[in-house]
Amino acid sequence: MRGIPESWIQRVVAELRQPVRMDEEFDRNVMNVVRSLPRHRYGPWARVLRPRTITVRPVLSSIAAALIFAVALSAGHAIGTARASRPASQRNDVSADRSASGRFTTRRPVQFVLVAPTARKVQVVGDFNDWDASHEEYRAEHRGGGVWAVTAAVPEGHHRYSFVVDDSLWVADPTAPRAMDDNYGMPNSALVVGGGDVGR
Amino acid sequence: MSWPTRAAIGLAGAWCVAIAAPRPASAQSDPELRLARLDAPTRVAVAAVVDSARKNRLPTEPLVDKALEGAKKGADGARIVTAVRGLFSELRTARLALGTGASTDEINAGANALHAGLPMRSLAQLRGAAQHAGRTRVTLPLTVATDLVARDVPVAVASDVVISLVRSGVRDADFALFQRNVRLDIEHGADAATAAQTRARGAVLHGGRSS
Repeated sequence: MRGIPESWIQRVVAELRQPVRMDEEFDRNVMNVVRSLPRHRYGPWARVLRPRTITVRPVLSSIAAALIFAVALSAGHAIGTARASRPASQRNDVSADRSASGRFTTRRPVQFVLVAPTARKVQVVGDFNDWDASHEEYRAEHRGGGVWAVTAAVPEGHHRYSFVVDDSLWVADPTAPRAMDDNYGMPNSALVVGGGDVGR
Repeated sequence: MSWPTRAAIGLAGAWCVAIAAPRPASAQSDPELRLARLDAPTRVAVAAVVDSARKNRLPTEPLVDKALEGAKKGADGARIVTAVRGLFSELRTARLALGTGASTDEINAGANALHAGLPMRSLAQLRGAAQHAGRTRVTLPLTVATDLVARDVPVAVASDVVISLVRSGVRDADFALFQRNVRLDIEHGADAATAAQTRARGAVLHGGRSS
C-alpha cells in the first residue's frame, strides 16, 4: 500500500493475529438472543414440499434413470409376452388384441368341431395363426365318441381355415361355408367372426 | 467402483438383454418378417406382389396369408407365386366391384367369390342391394354366395338368391341359418339350386323386412 510504512502494517497484522478472548457471559448473551427469535414452524408436508438442494453423483443418477426405464420397458414386455402366450381357453372373453396382420382387432371365442373317430390328433390352422399347426391354443381335444373340439379366440373378420388331422391330412370343416380357394389342392373353410353386417 | 454400483449396472444390463430378446412370432406384424419363412426366391417374388398391392392401396395381409398357406401345405415356390399373383388380381377386381369404401374383409371375401366363379357384375349388384337395404357390410353374403357355388348351386342362381336376400334386409344371423339349411338339404340329397331358392324364400319370410 502506497504511503503507509511497512512497520505500521506489521503492527496491524500482529494485532489481528492475537486470539480474541470472550468470556462465557458473552456466549450466553448471544444464545439468549438467538432463542428469543421467532421459530419457523414446518407442517408435515413442508419437509417434502419445501425446496431444498440435493447433491447427487452423475453416475449414480444415470444408473437410477436407466433402471427405472428398464423396469418400465420390461413390465410392458412381460405383459405383451403373457398375452401372446396365454392359452385361448383362458381368454375366451371378447378382447382387443393385435392380429398377425398388425391391425388391432377384437377377438371373439369360436368353437371348432370335427368328427374324426380314427384321428389321434386334430389341429386348427388358418390365416389367424399363419397356418401353423404348432399353436397349442388351436389344438383340439378329444371329447369322446370321435368328437374333437377346441374353442379359440379369433380376430373379428373374414377368415379361411382348415383342420389338420394327424399332422398330415388337411380337412375342411364340413359344417362351415367352403372357401373355394383351391390353389394348393387342399380345401379350406370360410369363417366370418363378428357382425359382418355392421362392418369394420 | 463400489459393489452396489457394480450390481446396479449388472442388473440394468440384464434387463436390457431381456428387453432386446425377440417377441413371439404371433406378435410380429411386419409382412416382411412373416414372409421370412419362405425360401429366398419365393420371398422376393411374393414381396414384389405385396409391394404392388400396397401401392394400389389393396390389403396386403391376404397375400401374405396365401403365401404362408402354400408353404405350410408344402407347395413349391412357383405354385405359391402363381397363387399370390392370382389373388392380387382378384383383390383388385373385387375392390373395383365393391367400391373404394369396401373393407379389407369384404375385399377378401369378394376375391374368394370371384375365384369361385361369381362375376364382377354380381359383386357390384350385391353392393348396390346392400346400400338399398341399409346394410353396412357384405362380407357374409359374399361368403355364403361362394359356399353355394362350391356346393354346385349354379352361379346365376347363387348370385340372384344372395342379392335378393340382401335386398330384402336379411341380417347376418339369418344368412348363417340359410347357409346351414341349404347345406343340410343338399347333404340329404336335394337338388342344389332348388334347395337354395326354396330356403331363400323362407329366409326372406323369416328374416326379411315386412315390406
